[in-house]
Amino acid sequence: MSLDFSPVFTSWHFLLGGIGDTLALSALTIALSLLLGGAIGLARCYGPSGLRWALIFYIDSMRSIPVLVVLVWTYFALPIVTGVTLPPFWAAASALTVHISAYVAEIVRAGITSVRPGQSRAAFALGMSRTQAIREIILPQALVRMLPALGSILSITIKDTAIAAVIAVPEYMNRSQTVAGQSFHPIEVFLAATVVYFAILFPVTRVVDIIYARFAYLGRS
Amino acid sequence: MNYDWSVVWRNADVLWEGTKVTVFLAVTTMAMAIPGGIALALMRLSGIRTLSIGSALFVEFFRNLPLILVIYTTYYILPVATGLRFSPIATAIVALSLNVSAYNSETFRAGIASIRQGQSDAGYALGMSRFRVMIDVILPQAVRRVLPVLASTWVSLFKDTSLVSVISVGDLAFESMRVRSQTFRVLEMLTAMAVIYWMLGYPQAKLVDWINNRYRVSE
Amino acid sequence: MIEARSKTRGAETGSVPTVAYHDVKKRFGNFVALAGVSMEVRKGEVVCLIGPSGSGKSTLLRCTNGLELIDGGEITLDGEHLPNDWDGMRRIRQRMGMVFQNFELFPHKTALGNVMAGPKNVLKQPRKAAEHRAMEFLRKVGLVDKATSYPAQLSGGQQQRVAIARALAMDPEIMLFDEPTSALDPETIGEVLNVMKQLAEEGMTMIVVTHEMTFARRVGDWIVVMDRGAIVEQGSPEQIFESPTKERTRDFFSHLVWTG
Repeated sequence: MSLDFSPVFTSWHFLLGGIGDTLALSALTIALSLLLGGAIGLARCYGPSGLRWALIFYIDSMRSIPVLVVLVWTYFALPIVTGVTLPPFWAAASALTVHISAYVAEIVRAGITSVRPGQSRAAFALGMSRTQAIREIILPQALVRMLPALGSILSITIKDTAIAAVIAVPEYMNRSQTVAGQSFHPIEVFLAATVVYFAILFPVTRVVDIIYARFAYLGRS
Repeated sequence: MNYDWSVVWRNADVLWEGTKVTVFLAVTTMAMAIPGGIALALMRLSGIRTLSIGSALFVEFFRNLPLILVIYTTYYILPVATGLRFSPIATAIVALSLNVSAYNSETFRAGIASIRQGQSDAGYALGMSRFRVMIDVILPQAVRRVLPVLASTWVSLFKDTSLVSVISVGDLAFESMRVRSQTFRVLEMLTAMAVIYWMLGYPQAKLVDWINNRYRVSE
Repeated sequence: MIEARSKTRGAETGSVPTVAYHDVKKRFGNFVALAGVSMEVRKGEVVCLIGPSGSGKSTLLRCTNGLELIDGGEITLDGEHLPNDWDGMRRIRQRMGMVFQNFELFPHKTALGNVMAGPKNVLKQPRKAAEHRAMEFLRKVGLVDKATSYPAQLSGGQQQRVAIARALAMDPEIMLFDEPTSALDPETIGEVLNVMKQLAEEGMTMIVVTHEMTFARRVGDWIVVMDRGAIVEQGSPEQIFESPTKERTRDFFSHLVWTG
């Protein structure tokens, strides 16, 4: 088998643009998911019971439906229902955020419930109010415990952006498909894609591991 | 705008076929990825450098790539690398199995490491070989211990099977979207697809929660 | 009062000790666990290793059956020099039985399954024969009615007795006990010590790391006091308990019971 990577090199500028879109979509999704997921997670723990049930339903539904389905529905079906057509990038950002926020919410909930009940009791015994106890004692500990799981969300998000290729978002995967189709050298193009994605994801997972290792002692009780 | 939900009922048989393929893919993949994961974990833990490093590289490789890319690449590389013609569904199973084996290997590695050293000591003290200790003492306990994690992995796998639709494997996602293209009933078919996945996935997610709770109580 | 023992040392000069340690050294990183230990264990003797935590008693035991490999000196079994490599020690481990502080029964097997584990998997005996043998040993420790129970269903004392049966099923030349009663509720300590006493009376060679001084005085034939990786003094129970010669030994005994 002889490999000819020239199509990759001739289209490198086009493909490079794809990396930009991949990173932009990832960064936006992560930021929005952390905010939305964090809010949902807190509401899930401390909110009124009616809201909590609705949120549990939402979270469990996102655990049941594949990302691909959410993406496709948001891009093709949502415009029909709402009349609002989102351009591919924003459709992907919305769909991914809605999906990943559910996971972030679960991580936040797990982090909060993992803090020993004795901690809040000790805080109340000192005379703190509920909000103070949550803010000063529970959340800081919970945060450290959430870090490894949140770190893995980082890498999951980047991987999920590749699925956005199917709804015409011009991120790296999509552009690879274009080049592969035009050049009739799919193996070389996708091997290049393998290198690119690995080069992006490997450092991310390593850095997350290192950061967690540095701060893990704060979460141990 | 008029909606025609009957398109879903009229194509129920096609959707049912797609669902069967989805389930088949998930079951077959897991059936290969559990022994695959155990093998990779044992290779990683063995004292033999080539096996240990090879396993670590394999796992690191697959954990750091999007599954959709793995599926595409496998689709193009497999026929060329092996000289055999693979059906799309076989390609899908290969790609999925490689991917999930990598994740399972980390799961089993953690499970094995969580078994107290005293247990292997007791096995060695009876004169068992390293092999015997692993097979008779450590693995049976480790597998039981990681069942909740394997259950979560299963749920993820079930959803990930939808990605094989991109190489035209006739799973639920592919068939739903094909009917959409043929009938132009976009909202109805896409919503039906989401609902069917939801109906299949929701009980599974709840089952995983139950397994996790039960496991924690008996610990 | 302690009865004088008939098995006094020096009465059997010329016979090969069952286990002999010659200047055994072991370190973990910078920590010296054993600083050159030399002693002998004679056939049919019950040797009790006593001393403060971290004195190296457990380490010495674990070096005996090769769960730890030594860094210096040598250990002999019936005069045969023990190989200092993991796989080489496997044959030797089959000739020794070990009982752990935490019992370490295999939780996924029944009591019978645990006792059978050695004969079936190591000695490769056929299932029926291994089962029959296992039942004999369960009977010996008084737990034949618990054969089909899982460890989680047994009390600590019962689990430890099953552990003893498991080790005995391999027909060992010597039994090693690593603080066998330290993890037990006071009520169940007795049932385990009784089994050990019975074994001693049947002539089993035993090395016991223990904090149970009454057991050491009544059942022990030879007491070895260790501290900081070295033997402080060794002698018969009368010698050690009635008139210890070393300051360190007296110091250890004085700390055993809080007298206010």
